[in-house]
Amino acid sequence: MYRLSRLRYVFPIGLFIAFFLDGSISKVFSGWLFSYPYSMVSHLIVLWLVLAYFFEEDTKIPLVSFAAVAGLIFDLYYSGIIGLFMFLFPLIILLTQALAKYFTPTFLTVIMFFFIDITCLELLNYFAYSLIGLINSNFGDFLVYVLAPTLALNLIYLVVLYFPIHSLFARSVQRKNS
Amino acid sequence: MQKFFSNRRLVIIVVALVVCFGLMAGSVAIRNKKATPPVVQQFGNDVVGFAGSVVAYPVNALQGGFDSVSELMNAYQENQLLKKQVSEVAQVKVRDQTLASENKQLKKQLKLNNSLTDYSTVSASVLTRTPSSWQNQLVINKGQTAGISKNMPVLSGAGLIGRVAEVNKTNSKVELLSDSDESSNRFAIQITNKQGKTVNGIITGYQKATGELVMGQVTSKVKITKGTKVITSGLGGVTPKGLYVGKVARVTKDDYGLAKKIYIKPATNYDNINIVTVAELNS
Repeated sequence: MYRLSRLRYVFPIGLFIAFFLDGSISKVFSGWLFSYPYSMVSHLIVLWLVLAYFFEEDTKIPLVSFAAVAGLIFDLYYSGIIGLFMFLFPLIILLTQALAKYFTPTFLTVIMFFFIDITCLELLNYFAYSLIGLINSNFGDFLVYVLAPTLALNLIYLVVLYFPIHSLFARSVQRKNS
Repeated sequence: MQKFFSNRRLVIIVVALVVCFGLMAGSVAIRNKKATPPVVQQFGNDVVGFAGSVVAYPVNALQGGFDSVSELMNAYQENQLLKKQVSEVAQVKVRDQTLASENKQLKKQLKLNNSLTDYSTVSASVLTRTPSSWQNQLVINKGQTAGISKNMPVLSGAGLIGRVAEVNKTNSKVELLSDSDESSNRFAIQITNKQGKTVNGIITGYQKATGELVMGQVTSKVKITKGTKVITSGLGGVTPKGLYVGKVARVTKDDYGLAKKIYIKPATNYDNINIVTVAELNS
């Protein structure tokens, strides 16, 4: 039960920190992340949401609504264009749920899921923004200079943070039983 | 597949798509036309900005710490170099003061209140940057209450870096000149060569590959040499005159060979911006 577990505090706090760390990392390391021609986008918040799905066990966090709210705030605060991430973040959760039915989640399959999630997120972001006329870079450049570096950065996040976040969740889930 | 695209799901998906694009188009339109975003959005941004400082300030302090350590490393050499410049700067400053007061007196005699070079500044620190490869935006910690309004030019370090794109009560968003949005870098600028001849124009683009600003469609015959300083011209009435933009890097013909294209090396590096100054035209 989400309401009775310690995750009730741990999960929103983590979401909060991940949300603002994305912006802070982009600011502090902007010289490295956005050095021409490559641009890497930090998606710690997606990492937190996706890993929460795999580590929640039987706690059942209301992930989709959390994702929608986080997406709305992301739109308001970071981009100023409302309506994209408030749908994309829940979509990523639903996609992960759909994929996870077919595989047992292990470290390697979670890497694969996360790879697909980030790819979908960036692709849909690209298509939506080019539809409303915000960007005018061609698709090939996007694949090579944006998608590939972004995937690399976020997979590094995943590999580094998988076990720490796993133990954090395991501990918060356990405490409620004892 | 039959089960996945059941009737109810399909309806939900279509509604979500329509709402999604409606909201996006709406907010883009509001962003382009209105001076401030809707009150709800403003309020949300203020609250989030306040909460965000809990994370942003420690991280910024950490960055400041690392920066000062790395600056300490080459402080000695820099000091030697700067010592030589200090004496010159004092001289220039005194002269600047004399000229400014003279200017004031002359304006008084002419009964001229404020001209395009009179502007006041608001300093702000940068909270975060948009984590996106498409929008080069900074969030700064001053807003409407500090006197900032939309479209004001923003400076950092030596020169111009962008303009205010969205204003909330206590924070605002700054679009950098390097942003892929085409309207973000249209500033009226002028270049004056050694003979005192002036070329007016606007910034028409940003070349990512070289990090240079482009001033296109220059039909003037005035000869511009490399290294000439570029400043804002104040035409248009929002930007003050005389904000430093950068130096001319090279001059080429445009694609049709009719007009000139002037490439400008910006005065400031758009990465690693911590403190910005927003310039407000006095009127």
